[in-house]
Amino acid sequence: MIKVEHLSKQFGELTVLRDVNAEIKKGEVISIIGPSGTGKSTFLRCLNLLEMPSGGRIFIDGSDILDKSADVPKLRQKMGMVFQSFNLFAHLTALENLTIGPVKLLGRSKEQAEKKAMELLKMVGVAEKAGSFPDELSGGQKQRVAIARCLAMEPEIILFDEPTSALDPTMVSEVLAVIRRLAKEGMTMAIVTHEMDFARDVSNRVFYMDEGIIYEEGPPQQIFESPQKEKTKVFINRVRSYSCHIDNPDYDLYAMNGEIETFCEKHALPKQTRNRALLLVEELLVVFGAWRGAQAVDLDLTLSYSEKQDSLELVVESAGDYLNPFEENTRPDQLGITIVKNLSENMEYRRVNNRNRVYLTVKK
Amino acid sequence: MFCLFMKKASVLALLCLLTAAVLAGCGKSEKVIAKLDDAREAKIGVMTGTTGEQLAGARFPNADIKSFDDVMDAVAALKAGQIEAVIMAYSNAVYVAKHNPELWYLPEPVEKEDMAVGVRKGNDELLAAVDRIIAELQDDGILEDMKRRWFKQDLSPYEQVDLAVPASGAVLKVGVSATREPFCFTDENGRITGYDGELARRISAKLGRPVEFSDMKFSALIPALQSGKIDLAISMAPTGERKKSINFSQPVFASAQVMLVKKAPGATEGDVSFLQRAGDSFYNNIILENRYLLIMDGLKVTVIISILSTVFGTLLGALICFMRMSPNKALRQPAKVYISILRGTPVLVLLMIIFYVVFASVDINPVLVAVIAFGMNFGAYVSEMFRTGIESVDRGQTEAGIAMGFTKAKTFLYIVLPQAVRQILPVYKGEFISLVKMTSVVGYIAVQDLTKASDIIRSRTFDAFFPLVMVAVLYFFISWLLSLTLGYVERIADPKTRRKRVF
Repeated sequence: MIKVEHLSKQFGELTVLRDVNAEIKKGEVISIIGPSGTGKSTFLRCLNLLEMPSGGRIFIDGSDILDKSADVPKLRQKMGMVFQSFNLFAHLTALENLTIGPVKLLGRSKEQAEKKAMELLKMVGVAEKAGSFPDELSGGQKQRVAIARCLAMEPEIILFDEPTSALDPTMVSEVLAVIRRLAKEGMTMAIVTHEMDFARDVSNRVFYMDEGIIYEEGPPQQIFESPQKEKTKVFINRVRSYSCHIDNPDYDLYAMNGEIETFCEKHALPKQTRNRALLLVEELLVVFGAWRGAQAVDLDLTLSYSEKQDSLELVVESAGDYLNPFEENTRPDQLGITIVKNLSENMEYRRVNNRNRVYLTVKK
Repeated sequence: MFCLFMKKASVLALLCLLTAAVLAGCGKSEKVIAKLDDAREAKIGVMTGTTGEQLAGARFPNADIKSFDDVMDAVAALKAGQIEAVIMAYSNAVYVAKHNPELWYLPEPVEKEDMAVGVRKGNDELLAAVDRIIAELQDDGILEDMKRRWFKQDLSPYEQVDLAVPASGAVLKVGVSATREPFCFTDENGRITGYDGELARRISAKLGRPVEFSDMKFSALIPALQSGKIDLAISMAPTGERKKSINFSQPVFASAQVMLVKKAPGATEGDVSFLQRAGDSFYNNIILENRYLLIMDGLKVTVIISILSTVFGTLLGALICFMRMSPNKALRQPAKVYISILRGTPVLVLLMIIFYVVFASVDINPVLVAVIAFGMNFGAYVSEMFRTGIESVDRGQTEAGIAMGFTKAKTFLYIVLPQAVRQILPVYKGEFISLVKMTSVVGYIAVQDLTKASDIIRSRTFDAFFPLVMVAVLYFFISWLLSLTLGYVERIADPKTRRKRVF
């Protein structure tokens, strides 16, 4: 139904999509996952030309939509889109949000459109809010109205652009339930999402996007249980990470500590783990000389949290002479190293590309 | 609602009356001027651009000289005690003194002067013709007769002479300043008349060209003549300064500049009660000579200019806004420049530039000029309003509309515009009201609007109170009615009221 060949997209200097090839068949539910900034949303937005691709071709039912003669608005009518930020029309009631398209674009009568709209609102469970304006609805209700608005246009495919990312955690399930129901009824869908469990249950196929391409694709069992490629593995097992680069002895330590705290809080790590992580970072910075007064600093720091293994890993990489902090008596102050050793496990040192690299896992 | 408004209005009117009564009661100046030398250090009023203005500076170097645009403004200031003397043409002074028993003019003239007709430099053919006509009128004794009929010492009515003025042919455009009775004023039929008016008609009859009057500020006559807006300016004293700018015919009659002052206290006979005065004032200013018709006509002009400029300005504003928001720099840049220039220029200056410079050599209806000037100004302001209104609708909704299959234009029409309009209306309403009030300056380009109507009445009655208060109340009414209409639009544009109607 949709076929994408060598799709690319640049924003100025920045290449977001390099070479995307994909096919979506009728009745398929595709989940698109991947780290932030790898072009998942851009890919979706290229499909209905909300973003103009820089290169490549997109076929819908065999016809090239990038062809100059293509009737793009007409094609878009067949492709519904659900946005992260709902984008309901603020001056129209929930019901009118559903009827404006069919009345103005499909030439339905008002009565016909309203009847259909009420059915759809019932189906997504917000019929009693038909006369309410968007600002009177909760996030979950807004998103369900937005889904119903797409359905009102009787699309052949619906594109979901992170439909639950802007929602309160308590409202995520009501929206996912509606999407699940659509999947069951055989609607063709492409869903960009960060809800891994949902992606695993609902989809027939999963696209893992990274480096501007579809890095790995396959049935959910394959992607989630036994990913084939390195980056997919990293992503599936160790989804979240925080990294920062220090190249100036006068860097903002407090801002960095704040960010590390936020990162730990986001993944609901216990307070103790968080404090240990902060202490470890501080000690390692001293060890590698990234302290006020130091001459030159070139240091990369990465904290990664693996949800699956529930472990927090810290990698510090620094330029400079060979320095293995875990060797005995290499440094005058052994206290710092002792603290590091006490707070972590699986310590490892490697010399890579003339840089010192230290791996360790924060003790729970 | 209406009741409430009436209450408000009556309170307002009461306040006005009280303020005026208090102000009228307290004259500030006590000095009595009995001869010219008494005025050496006095506050002296003069009319901008008249010979009196130049004379006053030379004759009374130590005096505090204040310039006024019109005779009636200076007389009002004299009566209120803000100034102690006014220098004006002899015939004007006679007329003013006749109507204001507490004023008189000093018998010793400040300076004698001749009055003549102004013609554009280079228009020698017309100048020669006018000179010839004046000579003929002189020889036939008609000038003498006109003098007798117009410059009266008593209060008897003017004897008008009906003249057969040609109806077709090349129009003779005559600039006058019709606030200088008996030289030139507007009579009860709204006709320009007086000595100058009759002279203009006689010249027009002899030339065989239909006459068309432009009533403007005295100080605007010379620029209008130079720019070709008018063919003749009647009548002016040919001073050296003016001769540099325009040519003058031979003198029409000998006049003088005299000094108008207040009589010594006690010289004014019997005080009348305030109510009696107010009643007389109402009758003189509103009823006499059907002066309310003049106000009605002015009201019409004000409303027409306001509404047409709003329509034109809104359309222009939409275009400017479109250009301003365009991704194309060649469109965006001119719009930006337009907006900053128009917002940084007083609308009165813009009005005069358009009338005297841009359309200098084009015969154009001044009302149209006013609509263009106010529309351009309004457009600059509303274009920025439109822009903020449109930008207040978040981009996501536009995207949703486009993703649904609407074209860009239809998305704008169905999704963005209804929301933008709601955002814009409250500020738009304010801007519109200020536009209505701004139109009060159109008198500068010879349009008879509401303010000009009150000027004309004041120039006949020398009474500031009633015409001004009445005009203020009328402006308030126009603004109030029009903003009520916009308020209604605002309510129906609010989707929440619409729901109350539907559900």
